[in-house]
Amino acid sequence: MELFVSILALGSTYALLAAGIVIIYKASRVVNFAHGELAIVGAYVFHSAGFVTGASLSAPSLLITIAISAIGSALFGVLIYFSLMRRLLGRPTFVAAMVTIGLAIILKAGIVVIWQSRSVGIAIGRQALFNFAGGGRITWIDLVSILACIALFAALAGFFQYTRLGRQFRGAAENPLLAAQRQVNINLILALAWAFAVFSATLAGVLFGSRSMLSPQSTIIGLSGLTAALVGGLDSLRGAAIGGVLVAAATYLTARLISPTLAEAVPFLILLAVMCWRPWGLFGTVEELNRV
Amino acid sequence: MTTNSPYLHVSYAETNRVLVEPYQRIVVAAIVAAIVCLPFVAGGYFLHLMNLCSIAVIGAVGINLLTGYCGQLSLGQASFLAIGAFTTAILSQRFGVPFFLAIPASCCAGAVVGFVVGLPALRFRGIYLAITTLAMHYAIIYVLTNYQAIVGPSASAGISVPAPSLGGFTLNSERGWFYVLLIVAALVVMFALNLSRTYIGRAWVAIRDRDIAAETCGINVPRYKLLAFTISAALAALAGSLGAYFTTVVTVEEYTLELAIVYLAMIIVGGMGSVIGSVLGAVFITLLPFGVGRVFEAFPWQLGTTAFGVQQAAIGVAIIGFLLFEPDGLIEIYRRIATYFERWPFRYRELRAGGSR
Repeated sequence: MELFVSILALGSTYALLAAGIVIIYKASRVVNFAHGELAIVGAYVFHSAGFVTGASLSAPSLLITIAISAIGSALFGVLIYFSLMRRLLGRPTFVAAMVTIGLAIILKAGIVVIWQSRSVGIAIGRQALFNFAGGGRITWIDLVSILACIALFAALAGFFQYTRLGRQFRGAAENPLLAAQRQVNINLILALAWAFAVFSATLAGVLFGSRSMLSPQSTIIGLSGLTAALVGGLDSLRGAAIGGVLVAAATYLTARLISPTLAEAVPFLILLAVMCWRPWGLFGTVEELNRV
Repeated sequence: MTTNSPYLHVSYAETNRVLVEPYQRIVVAAIVAAIVCLPFVAGGYFLHLMNLCSIAVIGAVGINLLTGYCGQLSLGQASFLAIGAFTTAILSQRFGVPFFLAIPASCCAGAVVGFVVGLPALRFRGIYLAITTLAMHYAIIYVLTNYQAIVGPSASAGISVPAPSLGGFTLNSERGWFYVLLIVAALVVMFALNLSRTYIGRAWVAIRDRDIAAETCGINVPRYKLLAFTISAALAALAGSLGAYFTTVVTVEEYTLELAIVYLAMIIVGGMGSVIGSVLGAVFITLLPFGVGRVFEAFPWQLGTTAFGVQQAAIGVAIIGFLLFEPDGLIEIYRRIATYFERWPFRYRELRAGGSR
């Protein structure tokens, strides 16, 4: 039971990362290589904002911190879109991917410059929610992770299914040119995609940071997120959720049952296996491969 | 019959010349003379930087053949360098193999690994290929990390490499290294320039521009893609091997994903699909952190980690800046300036055929 909850909690972090990668990919066919960096920078900002609003992290200051991080990250996503990505519309998508690599370097350097590479931990929700007889326990943050992830995916599903903007989003993802001719505001759609992606990355980073220490090396979780997105299929949101849980289960079980060193290798081993066996992922569309 | 004109070609050989006009030979001769005389006027620190540049040029030319000419985006360049460096370290330190055998062996090891990493290119292109090479990079580095932990005195100490020596002469001075690395780099540049003018180079460009059309033209696309990966990895391994001898110690921590990105940055900044561009980019990106460091030293207060972070960020800014504002890189800036002076006082665009050097 404890194992199950831990996997779900870690899986929800990966699923949130994968969701951001998938949304950006769906909207613009760009693979965001800066996702791990965005997540960790977001978590650092959350940590610092928590200090500014009150180190004790009581309920009101926690709410303010969450609000600052949520709004700040969404605005940062919009900023990335309008300052960088919009200029690359119409250029080959791998150029945009290389720009995200450049962005990743700058963000990682930002951690070095602003936070002097310090290791920090976000001390929220570490208290046990439920203790097992065998010594295991479930913490508050595990529960919050899982619930936040479910809520976000449900909200996304509803958005794409029932709102006008969501339908426009799907149309723009399918064929941007036709959508633009039908008066869909492509810039709005893409800015929204980036805003959501950075927001969900920040959420994932904060959840990650509340479970283990943050450092510039933590940006490697971007690889897990990318793997989760590929396992599920780069253009499938449903796949992102399932891929996240699968990658988390594989990583966690390897660390528990075989060796922690091998667990570091699990994300890219899965990545290689997926690329050999089923590169379009579990739920992705096959013809996607030829479009990029 | 030759016309010595950059515009009127009367034979196929003329369209393929590297130095089109007579004055360019004089310019190249002057540059060579200046570089050869450099060690007599420059200090040790400057020569050290130049040596780093020469090693970077070898690796950058390698990745430019793969990414710039053949259009295969690779994030695995650092792992090829690591393969070269580790092969050299293992052969020379554990088995006492002399450098003239260790370096070719390293190139061969790199070529084999490049062939394997290139296999997915037969199935994917673009971003999917980049993701696959990314996974390959982590796999190779993971193996080398565990190897280093087993053989080394400790997990992070690395493997030391003896200085190369031949017949009583040991190569350990900056000035000696300067000439050796310069000659190797010049040979690599000439090799790449010549390769790009042959059937192989033209096949690569055709695959980059449209692989389906290239296949229709009778180019064996899988073979030339794999050839690009093999040659590129061999050159990267050569750079890694020389780097191992030059720094005298090999640690796996050196070969991060950032290093692969730095090499990618070199060809983005220098110019994709241009051998001379990769030379310019390699020098630019290698010197950039030192230049930024110099600027920071001018500040009165100590910055420590901050300066290091800004040095890193400068590379990211260079990548984004060039991709957004000058996608063809430094070589395109050079071409524009050269054309401006050639045409002055008129403002025609470049008329020259060929152009992708």
